[in-house]
Amino acid sequence: MTLQIVLAVSAVLFCFGLAAAFSRANAIMVLVGIEFMLGAANLNFLAFWRFSGDPAALTGVMFAIFSIAVAAAEAAVGLAIVILVHRRFRSVEVDDANQLRG
Amino acid sequence: MDAFCQSLCADPIAALSGWFVLVPSLVLLLSAAAAVAARNLVRAALLATLSFVALGVVFIALGAEFVGFAQLLVYVGAVAMLIVFVILLTKPEQLARSPLAGAGPAGGILVAFALLAALLGFIFASPAADKALPAAAAAAPVAAIGRALLGEYVVVFIALGVLLTAALIGAAVIALEDEEP
Amino acid sequence: MIACLETAPTALLHWFLALLASWGVPAWTLPFVSALIIIGVLLGVFLTLFALTSVLERKILARAQNRYGPNRVGPFGLFQPVADGIKMLTKEDLVPRSADQIVHFLAPVVMLIPALMVLAILPYGRGMVPAELDAGILYFFALGAGTEVAVFMAGWSSNNKYSVLGAMRAIAQMISYELPLVMSAIVAAMVAGSLSPSAIVEAQGGFWAGVVPRWFVFTPWGFAAFLIFYIGALAEANRSPFDLPEGESEIVAGHLTEYSGFKYALFFMAEYVGMFAICGLMVTLFLGGWQAPLPFLDFVPTWAWFLAKICFVAFTMVWVRATLPRLRIDHLMAFAWKFLLPMSFAAFFAAACWHFAGRGLAGWLVSLAIVGAPYLLLGGAFARRFAVSRRTYRFSQ
Repeated sequence: MTLQIVLAVSAVLFCFGLAAAFSRANAIMVLVGIEFMLGAANLNFLAFWRFSGDPAALTGVMFAIFSIAVAAAEAAVGLAIVILVHRRFRSVEVDDANQLRG
Repeated sequence: MDAFCQSLCADPIAALSGWFVLVPSLVLLLSAAAAVAARNLVRAALLATLSFVALGVVFIALGAEFVGFAQLLVYVGAVAMLIVFVILLTKPEQLARSPLAGAGPAGGILVAFALLAALLGFIFASPAADKALPAAAAAAPVAAIGRALLGEYVVVFIALGVLLTAALIGAAVIALEDEEP
Repeated sequence: MIACLETAPTALLHWFLALLASWGVPAWTLPFVSALIIIGVLLGVFLTLFALTSVLERKILARAQNRYGPNRVGPFGLFQPVADGIKMLTKEDLVPRSADQIVHFLAPVVMLIPALMVLAILPYGRGMVPAELDAGILYFFALGAGTEVAVFMAGWSSNNKYSVLGAMRAIAQMISYELPLVMSAIVAAMVAGSLSPSAIVEAQGGFWAGVVPRWFVFTPWGFAAFLIFYIGALAEANRSPFDLPEGESEIVAGHLTEYSGFKYALFFMAEYVGMFAICGLMVTLFLGGWQAPLPFLDFVPTWAWFLAKICFVAFTMVWVRATLPRLRIDHLMAFAWKFLLPMSFAAFFAAACWHFAGRGLAGWLVSLAIVGAPYLLLGGAFARRFAVSRRTYRFSQ
């Protein structure tokens, strides 16, 4: 159990999120990919905090807490926009929202 | 085997702590892969929820219990439910078209693979990252987190409050049905 | 002898572990054996309580409606759970063909596991917490989020529009009432200065003037927070008057429509165990946990006090079910967001003022004012908004 293994897990999760955000057609799945990327970043912060040997320095933990809160806010706004796009274009696929005038 | 039993005898939790991180990580990666690849949208959302749960368990196993419980509460209780609600409200056709967009597999997945190769190369080549688990059990007591939140990080805390208020009011206003005049 | 009864459960556990060690069982397995024994005891106690409650609730409801409840099977009908169990196990397990089989199968499991896991942090007696967690209250609410996922899984996988509608209503109800619930729990945690349940119970020790226990429920902010927590607990457990998601006269059975046999029994069990768990948390946060109500009564073992308090709170929940009619979905959402949430903020502020006014009589009066004013204003506004007007009868001419 070295730091490299936990960082590797975080990197793989990040790349899964990136693949979802780039290649999925449904806007909701793009948002899920973004949440995976944020989770991977949190895991990175906590891994460095855990393996630093100084658990009283809480910077990693605090950053992860703030990141979770910001991710929740961003998910709420993103999903509200998805609902609005659905109302306008009658579809949630990212390829269908192809007109600039709303 | 005898050394393992001895370490297990001395402190069973510490001896198993490596496995406590690895097993949920495996569940996390498998369910995340399945969620990204799933055709059925609700199945994908449920697999994403499972990956959020596994991520929370990994956080707890790394010793950051507060962050782990917050992850479970916020992601599983709120974000996953939002995703599920929006799926139910927008009711996308399940089998209409391919789940992949744009340039398809060649585009996004290839880029992701390239990035993964680069990241793993950096991680396993870096001498600074080749650290073993420190002997001292890391603990972030809630009291210390609370004191930090209201002490060193109070500006961030208040800014976060403002951000959350603005985001939630904005989301509610955006999603409101506008009455046709 | 009385002190011996108080420490009997932990003493028995230690004696058994010592016995195992003397039989040559390796020392590294002992923590796991201890955990398994505690899990077994908790499951035994709470599943027995579940069985007893399923028949006692029906008898209490019946008595409230001036009839006898089940009284055929066994003395006073107390063996009814055995008959119910046999019925549930032998019923045919129907799953619709177009249902999502895996998700349909997993929903009762995902519902039951968090309900059982939250029992680990409750302090059952002095020094009798199965898992001493620094953030125990947060653990409780984090696992409560699992219940919402299970309700959605049950509703959507049944491939039935009533199920989906019932599931969406249930999730909306649970999310709406989770906020006042968590806020009122935070009030108790803030005054005690810790998120650990045993620390919160310890902070409620002692007596005012040697007579009134220092439980949080006996202060204005604590009483308000207790009421808000109680109402939120009723809503989280989908119990009447908040049982619209599973009301038979409303929406067939909501998200439980397509469940029969043992899976329905698992949902039923999860609901009751969840009810006892949240009663346990209520007792811990506001009613003093395992503390005795009067100084001379502390010869009764602390775990007996905890059990008695949980049973009393559960009895009041059944009593409320017998008394109040069901709320409509828009009424209950309005009640949660426009009344309970502002009141929980008022209780939070009142608790802070009580603390800074010195935790004495001045603090008591200040917090009473801070809680009473919003209650009168908001309650008055609500009563006027939802007032039942004088009924006018029009007959055909």
